[in-house]
Amino acid sequence: MNMQNPLARVRGTGSSGEGSHHWRSQRYSALILLLLSVWILWLGVSLAGADYASASAVMSSPVNAGMAILFAGTVFYHTQLGLQVVIEDYVHIATLEFAMLIIVRFACLVAFLISAIAALKIALGA
Amino acid sequence: MSTTKRPMSPYMLGPYYKFQITSVLSILNRLTGVFMSVVTAPLLLCWLIALASGEEAFAAVSLWLGSVLGKLVIAASVFSFSFHLMGGIRHLIWDAGWMLENSQVRFSGWLAIVGSVVLTLIVLGAGL
Repeated sequence: MNMQNPLARVRGTGSSGEGSHHWRSQRYSALILLLLSVWILWLGVSLAGADYASASAVMSSPVNAGMAILFAGTVFYHTQLGLQVVIEDYVHIATLEFAMLIIVRFACLVAFLISAIAALKIALGA
Repeated sequence: MSTTKRPMSPYMLGPYYKFQITSVLSILNRLTGVFMSVVTAPLLLCWLIALASGEEAFAAVSLWLGSVLGKLVIAASVFSFSFHLMGGIRHLIWDAGWMLENSQVRFSGWLAIVGSVVLTLIVLGAGL
């Protein structure tokens, strides 16, 4: 038995069934990426054309390793949210849409896991 | 009259909707996002995996990045990043309820174009 007031149940969920969660998540991840863009641009410029030794040295600093994992997590979350909207807007075959949404989610999760493990491996010098 | 051939929303291309800075920047924000998803992010991932794998793998990736194709992909990625960043800032400003008048939207659009070109040139220039 549902003890929830019908108004409370419907409030904030709307036609998407999850309210503004997706929209807000996209904005929050965008805000974090806006801050991290300074770091990633600095990293890209300072590592352009770098050899193995200097690239390893930069990426093994705890600050850069931590930022890399945070960046990868936020970027692949934002990627998943963004591609989801594009697929929902332009793919009108239900099964194909469903398959693509699952593949994008899975690919973004795997990409984040690989990034995090690679960054840790470099940082720990394993 | 048949209604099956009517364009579905969102359908901003072709003769149905006049091209203007708002619609062009909107589709470009999506295109740059998709480009970074399928090209830039996998490339960054390859670079990180190579760095974690050792000197040989890193040298191979560095060699490719230094090629003409590699440089083109880097330049396109930096532009996409800059453009999507400017577009994102515009969206966040709108979400706060600011700059929503037509004239302000057109102005911030041109500002975003100029800003993304300038940022691209600064980053590519600094990375040379």
